[in-house]
Amino acid sequence: MQFFNLNENTFLITWNQNLDSNLTNLLTSYRNIIMSICGDDIQDCVQSIKSLLVIINNNGSSIKKIIEKIKMIDPKKINIKNKKIKVWKIPVCYDLEFAPDIKAVSDLNNISIQDLIEIHLSKTYDVLSMGFLPGFMYLGKTDNRIHCERKVKPSLKIKKGSIGLALNQTCIYPTESPGGWNIIGITPIELFNLQSNSPCFSKPGDKIQFVEISKSQYVSSLKNPDKPDFIEL
Amino acid sequence: MIKVISKGLYTTIQDKGRFGYRNIGVPSSGYMDSESAETANLIINNPKDNPLIEATLIGPTLEFKKSAVICITGGEFSPTLNDIKISSYSAIEVNKGDILKINNSSIGSRCYISIQGTIISDTILGSKSFYHQITNSNIIEDGDIFLFKKNIRTLEQKYTHKKFELNKTINVFRGPEFKCLSKESINTLFNEEFSIGINNRMAYNLLEKIQDGVNSIISSGVIPGTVQLTPSGNIIILHRDSQTTGGYPRILQLNEKSLNDLAQLRTGDKIRFKLLN
Repeated sequence: MQFFNLNENTFLITWNQNLDSNLTNLLTSYRNIIMSICGDDIQDCVQSIKSLLVIINNNGSSIKKIIEKIKMIDPKKINIKNKKIKVWKIPVCYDLEFAPDIKAVSDLNNISIQDLIEIHLSKTYDVLSMGFLPGFMYLGKTDNRIHCERKVKPSLKIKKGSIGLALNQTCIYPTESPGGWNIIGITPIELFNLQSNSPCFSKPGDKIQFVEISKSQYVSSLKNPDKPDFIEL
Repeated sequence: MIKVISKGLYTTIQDKGRFGYRNIGVPSSGYMDSESAETANLIINNPKDNPLIEATLIGPTLEFKKSAVICITGGEFSPTLNDIKISSYSAIEVNKGDILKINNSSIGSRCYISIQGTIISDTILGSKSFYHQITNSNIIEDGDIFLFKKNIRTLEQKYTHKKFELNKTINVFRGPEFKCLSKESINTLFNEEFSIGINNRMAYNLLEKIQDGVNSIISSGVIPGTVQLTPSGNIIILHRDSQTTGGYPRILQLNEKSLNDLAQLRTGDKIRFKLLN
């Protein structure tokens, strides 16, 4: 755990471990503890793949005091195994109409489109971080057999709900946007709901399990988007 | 009520910003130059974090359908009321039917128009600041109508403020990836001038390049004022609407004052970095 002050009210905590689910769970646990022990002193705490960025409120609290508090957290008390983790079931339609890049990625990896879909469905992914767009989820890690680079020429218009692949990650576009990920499917789920005070159902540290749906199921659930189901592990 | 006769170049409603949602990817937004904005509120006894109008380079023309007390701060935009020049940094009484014209800026890039009372506008995730993925409006458009609730406050206590001036020395701390810079780059960074290229509420691009070929980092948190170095050697200074995470090395970090100063500069202006730590 390393601390780095960015400015008068922001610091980073960085971990050097290799990325796996344990690291993601560790960061999530630290974030929860920091939010609960520092309360109103914290304005924002942003979880990324290997770091937390902490912005403190301008209420007289000091970075030094907060870092001291965080250093007092006993790592032995952070029991990542016992924590309940939400696994969200996200329906995905892999129909070619909504998967403009699925053929190129399967060709690149010398597998069939069906193989690619099965490999993509076979893993439960960690929500590593959110960013780029409000509610945009970085999910990892994907299977090496569906590895691909970002597109050299980004698409100008990626549909809302699109599922992307790049490097060892997969993602979901919450809104229509330009972007460089390879698009292999689409979900009817509403990922970012501004009417709610917690606009995203999931957050970094949760898990995502994709479930295949047909084109007709996609079209019909688009009309009545439900909140996704989840199970707790 | 205020009617927008002409919208100007890039006019938005901003308040202090949207806080507590960066973990789900929502930028903070808010006043680009918070010092000028807060001054505009304080001069007319508004709470300092009140929403107000932010104009960029070419200001809007507004028709007041009811009387109001307003204040204009920030850059020099030669404001007029019914074609008569009015002063910035003071409370101005506006009558029903008056036309406020904020012209082109001669000094600075952004000016702020505060209205005594409250502008009525949607609060989304705790803020009225415009941001295209969050709020219905991206910018103020011709013909838009704003309602505001008057709140007469006495102006007995005069608010003293700093004089507006441009400042092209940008104070920075070392960023988390400062160590990826070569000696030569560090030398260039702190001894040469850099010219401002394309810029907006998200980021300021600089024209001069420094070393190329630095490796990207594992995507990590960024904030307004983070200075990124791209693999091709370009320098990008993130501003209020910037995204919340990024994969470019963070070589420097502006302090709050320099973030405000930068917001008043424009394409072609030359800046110098000054190291604080």
